[in-house]
Amino acid sequence: MAQEAAAWAEKFRRATESDPIIQCYAKYYTCDFLLDMEALRVGVQMRDGQVHNIEINPAPLEPHHFSLHAPAETWRKMSQKHPPPFFHGIWAASVREDLRIEGNITVLMQNLRNFTAQFELLRQTGVPV
Amino acid sequence: MAKISPVIGRYVTIDVDDLEYRVFWLENGDGPPLVCHHTAATHNHQWRHLLEDEDFTSRYRIIAYDMARHGKSDPPRNAEWWKEDYRLTADHFVNFVTAFCDALELDQPTFLGSSFSGCVALHLALRCPERFRAIIPLQAADYAPGWWLDWWRHPHTNGAQVCSSGVWDMMAPMSPDDERWLTLWYHMQGAEVLKGDLHFYSMDHDLRGRLHEIDTAKCPLVMMTGSYDFLTPPEVTRATAEQVEGCEFIEMKNLGHFPMSENYPLFKPYLAQALEIIDRKLAT
Repeated sequence: MAQEAAAWAEKFRRATESDPIIQCYAKYYTCDFLLDMEALRVGVQMRDGQVHNIEINPAPLEPHHFSLHAPAETWRKMSQKHPPPFFHGIWAASVREDLRIEGNITVLMQNLRNFTAQFELLRQTGVPV
Repeated sequence: MAKISPVIGRYVTIDVDDLEYRVFWLENGDGPPLVCHHTAATHNHQWRHLLEDEDFTSRYRIIAYDMARHGKSDPPRNAEWWKEDYRLTADHFVNFVTAFCDALELDQPTFLGSSFSGCVALHLALRCPERFRAIIPLQAADYAPGWWLDWWRHPHTNGAQVCSSGVWDMMAPMSPDDERWLTLWYHMQGAEVLKGDLHFYSMDHDLRGRLHEIDTAKCPLVMMTGSYDFLTPPEVTRATAEQVEGCEFIEMKNLGHFPMSENYPLFKPYLAQALEIIDRKLAT
């Protein structure tokens, strides 16, 4: 499980840093966020469009700017190549399904274009749950 | 050989509630007028495919305008608009649409509106059905609260990116990338007016308890919504349509909140179906 999660983290890092949309827009893409997938949590630190660190199951008090929380099944649906209706983005899933967005929403909004593009990379990499 | 489009653009100056607007519109085709309104914070390029589709332009005069403050239609010429917080109301919206139709001397146009203009389409059906041959609200509901947000125009964020990223989620993920990015691009250009547009959409627009007053015998009504539209899901539009006697509802599979722009080939048969329903109703 730990090895699989580490392999996924590396795949997600490579996908982020090779994505042409993120690299086009992301000169100032800097923030820390947490993806809570129920069975596993992923902490991501972005610095100037590059992945500074991805940590699987970070310590409970590890700081981040904002976080996304959903059951593992929701993450699996959101990461399908063609997600079903209302699992196709953070707005859709938080308004119509059971995704919760918490933390400093201003930071999320400041980085929304880049975060949206990075979030959709889950459709390529899948999720580690 | 240059590719010159048959679509032409012109301006008309209209008076709406004592405000003078110079309004830009695009048009192509011959036949009964089909007046198309864009969604909030964007402009008439959302209708670019319909405007050049000979299957429709051979039968209809397709007219797509930019609402005031959108695209090439400026804010009012005779007011210090920069000193007021733009907040669109139902009354002003209805008066704008009817003033534009009057200015072009359109006889019984069919009105096709989407999202906030789909909602104003319901107001047109309620207030002045005798003026329209038929009305087709896309992505509309009797009530759409919760979206008059400061995030659309917040000094600590990039409004263009915030507005357009929200829009991105409203489209079906399988719609073509190039069309989704164009749709997003239009929203980037109009971000500054999104909050004011949504004042109508989420604050002033509320037809709960009044839908039964719409008389579809005077003006047929066909409502359509995309299955990926999280803002106005099919069940919400269906629930609205069911409250209007004689109103038809069509769910558009694998389309989102911007069907005419994000994936026109999928949208086209649904629009044809709606127009056929209207023709059938008017023939009986």
